[in-house]
Amino acid sequence: MADLGRAALVCTLGLSLYALVVGIVAARDNRRRLANSARNALFCSFGSTVVASAVLATALVRHDFSFVYVAEHTNRSLPTAYSLSAFWGGQEGSLLLWLLVLTGYATLSIAVNRRLLRDLTAWVVPVFGGIATFFSFVLVAVSSPFNTQTAPFDGAGLTHSLRDPYMVAHPPMLYLGYVGLSVPFAFAVGAMLSGKTDERWIVATRRWTLAAWMFLGFGQLLGAHWAYTEVGWGGYYAWDPVENAALMPWLAATAFLHSVMIQERKGMLKVWNMVLVALAYELSVFGTFLTRSGVVDSIHSFAKSSIGGWFLAFVVISSLFSLTLILKRLPFLKARTKLESPLSREATFLYNNLLLVALCLTILWGVVFPILTQVVKGEQQTIGRPYYDFFLRVFGLPLLLLMGIGPLIAWRKASARTLLRTLAWPIAAAVVCGVVLIVLGAGSSLPGLLAYTFCSFVLATIVVELVRGMRVTGSLFMLVGRNRRRYGGYIVHAAIVMLAIGIAGSSAYQTTTDQPLKLGQSMTIDGYTLTNRGVHTSNSPQASKIWAVLDVTGRYHGTIKPVLANYKIPPEPGAKNVSIKTDWLRAQDLYVIPDELHPKTGLIYVQVLVKPLVNFVWLAGIVFVLGSLVAMWPDAREQRRLVTRLAPARA
Amino acid sequence: MLAIVLGLLLAATVVVLVALPFLREPVAADDRLDAPSEAESRRLELIEERDRALAALKELEFDHRAGTVDDEDYRSLIGPLRQTAAAALRALDVYGAEMSELPNEPGPPPDEGTPPTPAPVPEPYPPPDEATVPSPDE
Repeated sequence: MADLGRAALVCTLGLSLYALVVGIVAARDNRRRLANSARNALFCSFGSTVVASAVLATALVRHDFSFVYVAEHTNRSLPTAYSLSAFWGGQEGSLLLWLLVLTGYATLSIAVNRRLLRDLTAWVVPVFGGIATFFSFVLVAVSSPFNTQTAPFDGAGLTHSLRDPYMVAHPPMLYLGYVGLSVPFAFAVGAMLSGKTDERWIVATRRWTLAAWMFLGFGQLLGAHWAYTEVGWGGYYAWDPVENAALMPWLAATAFLHSVMIQERKGMLKVWNMVLVALAYELSVFGTFLTRSGVVDSIHSFAKSSIGGWFLAFVVISSLFSLTLILKRLPFLKARTKLESPLSREATFLYNNLLLVALCLTILWGVVFPILTQVVKGEQQTIGRPYYDFFLRVFGLPLLLLMGIGPLIAWRKASARTLLRTLAWPIAAAVVCGVVLIVLGAGSSLPGLLAYTFCSFVLATIVVELVRGMRVTGSLFMLVGRNRRRYGGYIVHAAIVMLAIGIAGSSAYQTTTDQPLKLGQSMTIDGYTLTNRGVHTSNSPQASKIWAVLDVTGRYHGTIKPVLANYKIPPEPGAKNVSIKTDWLRAQDLYVIPDELHPKTGLIYVQVLVKPLVNFVWLAGIVFVLGSLVAMWPDAREQRRLVTRLAPARA
Repeated sequence: MLAIVLGLLLAATVVVLVALPFLREPVAADDRLDAPSEAESRRLELIEERDRALAALKELEFDHRAGTVDDEDYRSLIGPLRQTAAAALRALDVYGAEMSELPNEPGPPPDEGTPPTPAPVPEPYPPPDEATVPSPDE
């Protein structure tokens, strides 16, 4: 069946190329049937990619080790769910997933908008065609998942740390996010190419952008949870280049989602929005380059391969193309109005945009700096956690504050008097919270104290907004239903506050200790007493394991069992399986990392961390998805309005 | 063998689907893309302008009633917004008259009432019933 997979990919390449070339000719020469033919080719490219993906999925489930990819990433003992997850566990399979999602998004977004935006989609088709041509070319010519061999008896298997439900879901979520950003990009480029830069492309892609942004954000949180429970270094985000690669486009997309509201409302920031859409998309491809090129050291990287250069070339070419197009279309992107006051909602959105982009570019600099030093000096100099933490505080805390001010300030302009009156309750809540925190001893960390004070301010603004709105509409349901986008946004803001609470608590107020414990010996940390009750071993064909048993007394009663494992298939010596107990009463985790466990003497070396409020990070993920869904839920009235508006154009 | 048959089937399907627009219409009476004309694009621009102004009005009314915008700010903001909305509506009317050969500008959907006509803003302005201020951007 590998031949069928190869043939399907060749078919996708041909169809994508056809959609690119014929699509350009059709749109340029204004030829309807040719444009429809190019569009059909793009739709068919999704079909042929589905066939290729089905071939690979079947091979994975059937453990067909004649496929090199299957043999390298699975083995016979692997459960079916993890065998399937190997689809995106390796480079070739993940590229195929990328192509599948891309052609799927392209087909759906064009099919949904083809009647209302026919003039625009004629140019969107070749843009999608161009992107799909690149990915299918890489899969056909450079990195194919359908290479075959004489089938060995068993495969190498999947790395044990990847056998985790969160890791099963994390990559597809990220791809849905990364690739989803190509939808607003393709429509924005299509709008510029066609010269139709009115708001139709924004209306057409608003929900696609929101969906991509939601997937990217949620995917990162799934990855963070996996790192927290599986990787065993004691945290969930290490500012690793590959982690940053997912954060950067998310930040750019966040800026776009805010600034696009100014364009819709005021007809301003058209150039800026085009730049943000292009930036978000290019950063998503740049992230793929980072993951696959081997130019940066990361635990998340695929093995160094030859496709890095192709991706770099694609990023450079598509960035130059986008930039040139924006510059050429500047006359079409003139603003209708100007900013009337620095005290207005659009102004706060603008400040928010500047901070988000500044944070994004600061992270980008941290990511490319080692690459640049390698090129210039011949040795790689890395930028560490203090750099990122510093800029997260510098840009993140004002962002948090703006998140509270923005919703309560009027469009166009507001007087300082009104603003102060409107913000009176939130300011009072923040001051009370700050004072209480200082009294409770939280003043040990100024950034943590500021973060919590700002969080209480934002939460108070959300509550004030909801209460005031409910006075008008009479019920929360009516209020949210009246303007889902606005109130869905507030729910997302609440999620970001929860995230900030979790991050500040688990980093600024974390307690840690690292010491040896003899058999029967105890240590105390933050009111928890851990007593070493012995070290045990086990041996099986899959792994040999050593684990310690620690009794926990004091604030929490229970047992903790950190494990050191030597996995045999595939070989993976010294894997640390951390043990985490959640003290729900105090909303904190007791986190134990095994460093050394000696079965003969019973001596153990463990790191123990107490991480307050860390579970708010995971809870934030659920609230974030909920808010995003509310904001993107289809609005029948809006659709009717769009149809009515464009009806004569279609007649 | 099965792979070859499936591959051929895939190729044949793809060829037919890609050629379908030409198979359906071997000779087209009008092969031009169904794009809005310059006049239609201008009309769309004016409608966007109108929708934007009405949406801003609607949100201002709501924020005023909710208490986020006080009377003084409301009075200073409502006038220019109403003027913008009125100008957009007038421009659409004028444009519709000039381009009488084009289909008439459709009004807002039936469930959203009729567009407001500009009126002088009384002092202090009483919050109007929301239903009288339709908006395309609820």
